[in-house]
Amino acid sequence: MSTKRAFITDDYPELGKGPVPVEPYISPEYYEREKEHIFKKTWLEVGRVEEIPNAGDYMVKDLACADASIIVVRNKKGQINAMHNVCSHRVNQIAYEKCGTTRKFSCKFHGWAFDLDGNLTGVPEEECFFDLDKSANGLARVACEIWQGFIFINMQPEPAQSLEDFLKPMFGSIEGYPFEKLTSGFSWVSEVECNWKLALDAFQEAYHVAYIHGLSIADAVEKDENGAMPPLGALCGEYHRRLSLSGNQKSVYGNPKAMTEGGAAFEEALVEASKSKPISAAALRGAVGSAMHDFPIEALPEGMNWTKSPNWLFDINVVFPDLYLSLRPNYFQCYTFRPTAYNRTRVECRVFYPEMTTAGGRFFVEYMKVALRDVLLEDMSTVERTQKAAETGAKRFMFLQDNEVLVRHNYHAVERMLERNAAQAAAE
Amino acid sequence: MNMIATSQADHPVNVQLPDAFQALQAYVGVWALATETERNIQRHRQSMPSIIAFKDAMMAQIDELLVFVNRKPLAEIDEVETTLLKLLLSLAEIAPTVECYNQQEVVYGFDPRRFVAEEDFSLKPVY
Repeated sequence: MSTKRAFITDDYPELGKGPVPVEPYISPEYYEREKEHIFKKTWLEVGRVEEIPNAGDYMVKDLACADASIIVVRNKKGQINAMHNVCSHRVNQIAYEKCGTTRKFSCKFHGWAFDLDGNLTGVPEEECFFDLDKSANGLARVACEIWQGFIFINMQPEPAQSLEDFLKPMFGSIEGYPFEKLTSGFSWVSEVECNWKLALDAFQEAYHVAYIHGLSIADAVEKDENGAMPPLGALCGEYHRRLSLSGNQKSVYGNPKAMTEGGAAFEEALVEASKSKPISAAALRGAVGSAMHDFPIEALPEGMNWTKSPNWLFDINVVFPDLYLSLRPNYFQCYTFRPTAYNRTRVECRVFYPEMTTAGGRFFVEYMKVALRDVLLEDMSTVERTQKAAETGAKRFMFLQDNEVLVRHNYHAVERMLERNAAQAAAE
Repeated sequence: MNMIATSQADHPVNVQLPDAFQALQAYVGVWALATETERNIQRHRQSMPSIIAFKDAMMAQIDELLVFVNRKPLAEIDEVETTLLKLLLSLAEIAPTVECYNQQEVVYGFDPRRFVAEEDFSLKPVY
């Protein structure tokens, strides 16, 4: 075996290098433990603050993994609250629509009314109740905190760890990324017949790019002299993980900063694209200078492109358990892979671009978005097949290479939280 | 809501393109579609020769077309420019068919009908 190349996995000896079990992907019992000790006890991303900008704006998040339906609402003071979508009277559902705007929440069953903080403010025929203490019977609250404009909830009303403490060790260095300048959002939803970790794993390595994306964006990722696409680096923390990737600067998809920077980046992106992908070249030509904002590379937070590569394309950031955040110079992707059963996942994929000031700019965004969407259809092409194959039990282990270290870390991180939270519950 | 009346009122065939873009007039009825879902359905419904003919017609005048639609801020474009923008969005929709797959579908791709665009997503740009 050659030992010339340094392995990323050597930086994390606690992860080992051996085969990783398939069992966690196919076990209903494992999923029940994940529900109890992970999804009901940790921070879960549920949207962006821009989705509920005004007092009374709300959205309802159905979280099968936590056996809950949660109302996320902006109150009159501009704060965001989260509460169970369950009436205090006879436990009917309060909000039927997935989003809306309201002055107060009223239950359609008997008219009980709750304000935007969940306080019980109105009970028809109140005089017919026996010692009903309204102040003690508001909607059941869950914890709700914001990080960089992302709304997170935690089913524990008083979580053991604040959102900031949970995220800062791994993601403090990427704070200040210009999320607020990237306001044109697109969203897709899919119910997929596979385990949530299987779906997430498809996005945690670039080893598959030459094969799954061989016809589409393989030319956008930088290759080494052996034709491989090794990452620039990987970071594995207690629960979270990151992967940094380099791009082919001579392509449009691999050099997105060309659209906002213009100049030399623009010329370089067109070098190959003008011949091989003329539609992409035309879209770039029609869009240069159209974005509402600038995105100077030097203003990006310190933690992005931590290896400081000139060919840096993007960082994959996985926020435990199920949030994939891919930050590019001038756009970002935000995906969640949240289980609805041990072998079913609700996949929500969103991408955010700068607002464009011209039709040519809007054309470029559509080009990039369609390219991304079709890449997602390529990524999703294996997951249901893999789930079925895994459930046969014919193979009980996976063999992971160095560049699949995030897949390996996912297994260990899930095991770690299951073990810790189960031990804590047993101690209580 | 009367779905049939609504779709007839919005039917794009009636918009006349400027003389400079007469070669694209035939494509308005097929490709001047308002949503990603409609454009994706059309991509899978049209034959490859039809898609390539559309692509060739658009690319023959692409820079002229972009200069034309870029004259005004996006927020102020009129009905004609909006129609041209929809054609551009459809060109983006079919780009992978001609640049990558040589067919309408993503090769070995997940079923696009199950990967549903949220057309009512509140942060989606109007155009």
